[in-house]
Amino acid sequence: MHGTSGLSERSRSVADKERLVAGVVDIPRAEPWRSGGAIALARIRRAVQKALHKPQFWFGLAVLVPSLIWYAVFSFGPILQAFPMAFRYYKIVDPAHSPWVGFDNFRFVLGDQLLRISAKNTVTWAVLAFTLMLPLSLFVSVCLANVSRGRNLYQAVIFLPVVVSLVAVSLLFRMILDPEIGQVNRLLAMLSLPQPRWLSDTRTALLTCVLIGTWKGLGFHVVILTAGILNIPAEIYDAALVDGVNEWQRFRHITLPLLGHTLLLITVLLAIGCLQEFTAPFVLTEGGPGTATYTYNMFIYKEAFQQMRFGIATAAALLQFAVILVITVLQLKLLRPQWSY
Amino acid sequence: MEVASARPGRRRRPLSTTLAQIGPHVALILCCCSSIVPFLWMFMASFRNYKELVTSRSFFPQVWTLKNYQDIILRVNFPVAFKNSVVAAISVTVVMVLTSSALGFVFAKYRFWGKEQLFTILLSTMMVPFAVVLVPLYLTVARLGLVNQLGGIIVTGFWSTFGVFMMRQFMETIPTEIIDAARIDGAGEPRIFFTIVIPMASAPMAALATFGFMDNWDSFLWPLVVLNSPNKQTVPLIIAGLRSLYWTRYELWAAGSMLSVVPIMAVYAFASQYFIRGIAMSGLKA
Repeated sequence: MHGTSGLSERSRSVADKERLVAGVVDIPRAEPWRSGGAIALARIRRAVQKALHKPQFWFGLAVLVPSLIWYAVFSFGPILQAFPMAFRYYKIVDPAHSPWVGFDNFRFVLGDQLLRISAKNTVTWAVLAFTLMLPLSLFVSVCLANVSRGRNLYQAVIFLPVVVSLVAVSLLFRMILDPEIGQVNRLLAMLSLPQPRWLSDTRTALLTCVLIGTWKGLGFHVVILTAGILNIPAEIYDAALVDGVNEWQRFRHITLPLLGHTLLLITVLLAIGCLQEFTAPFVLTEGGPGTATYTYNMFIYKEAFQQMRFGIATAAALLQFAVILVITVLQLKLLRPQWSY
Repeated sequence: MEVASARPGRRRRPLSTTLAQIGPHVALILCCCSSIVPFLWMFMASFRNYKELVTSRSFFPQVWTLKNYQDIILRVNFPVAFKNSVVAAISVTVVMVLTSSALGFVFAKYRFWGKEQLFTILLSTMMVPFAVVLVPLYLTVARLGLVNQLGGIIVTGFWSTFGVFMMRQFMETIPTEIIDAARIDGAGEPRIFFTIVIPMASAPMAALATFGFMDNWDSFLWPLVVLNSPNKQTVPLIIAGLRSLYWTRYELWAAGSMLSVVPIMAVYAFASQYFIRGIAMSGLKA
């Protein structure tokens, strides 16, 4: 770097910067009296020196190094540790001597009665959530896309339950759905309608949980779908108007197919969210009555932090991971939208 | 200006269009009512006394009382939990937004060996459900001596892969010419980042900050695992505890829930469009 160039210090640094901005890389000329190794070394040294002189290098380093350390400790590390843990009988007092047990943890999990119930509940939860959420959120977002005034206000109000803490919402619904003194049943009594026992009845508890989840999550899906609908070019609707199609045909043959990407995204998000349901059933019902609303993640939590069986909990979690992975891949492959614009 | 005058906003709509919109408006108003009425019930319940809550048929409390709030604040350690929640949510949000923007900038505008691969690896961590890392992450936090410390729920939130992804998406739309011009003018990289990139990225950063705050304020499972002594707990844990502490004392539940909901509603009142636009944006991009 300390060559005898005629340039002054200042102008050379300007030239350096310009070269660096332009991304010019100067390749060292071959020097015949040096061996190949030495040339390579010199080349590397020059490349390193060049990199060190780039201001981007230090800033990039300052950003990337702490990030990578954090990811190694709190993200990659735990993910990688989960795999061996699932194959061990984890001893909390002496983790270093936890014996390998092969697939025993998985065998235990798959044979467990409570796991089967919780897996069944979780799948039922997801299916119910789909059948409630998708049509409802589509309907509301089509309404939103069709009104010309007050859209932002409507959206802000419909979105409100999304931002409010799930724990508070769960307590709120436990309160108003109380079979004896809850407002909903008192209202139904006034109208002399049948009064279901909502969360305290084995038959209705799961459906009630899903209804509450739909109430809370509706705004999220509506906002995404409305953005998707408004993103469809107006010309297509104008053309359809000229052709004289009715409201339903417009929805069925324009909106729905062109919303493919957005619907796919929502489907994946909803499925992944439902399979990991924990807070709502934990606060609403503690999994009860009986095991009517016991979900898969509650099983994992119980195994890990109440039974202190870390290996079994992690094995169950890995099974969930596998299912989520398969569902995601299947959905992306099968539900590929046929139309786009 | 010409575009605006070509499309007059205050054009009178034909009557048929207005009539066709009545249906959607009615549906939307019903929808809005259903999302507000439960909160109103909760609000009213929080000012009733227990006897009235059980027997009263009126919508408004007959006797307004602040006793429920007094009980929650004095008996349940609520102020400490509130302070913990505020400290955790704010510190996580501030750090997470900064790290996400810096990493997003580096991934969008720098060229280095293995960049795309590294980014793919980072993104793939989003696919892993939280339950998989629950136990190993707990053990890691325990090894660092952060169990039952507020730090245990703060340090795990400093980086957010979703945030990095979102900020990278935005940073790619910033013209490289602006950054190059600043470099030629002799601005260092930190200065470019803080005085050029951050002001341009303020809208997505605000959206990310609102997400981050909301997420942390509501987070339940991880604090439940990490924090167990009463003076370390956060608001959602305390509120969930009311369930067993005051069985069916709904007026106390309502007061506690109101207290936990108010900060989020306050943030939302000012930033609702950031929330909504941010979510709508992430839906269109994916």
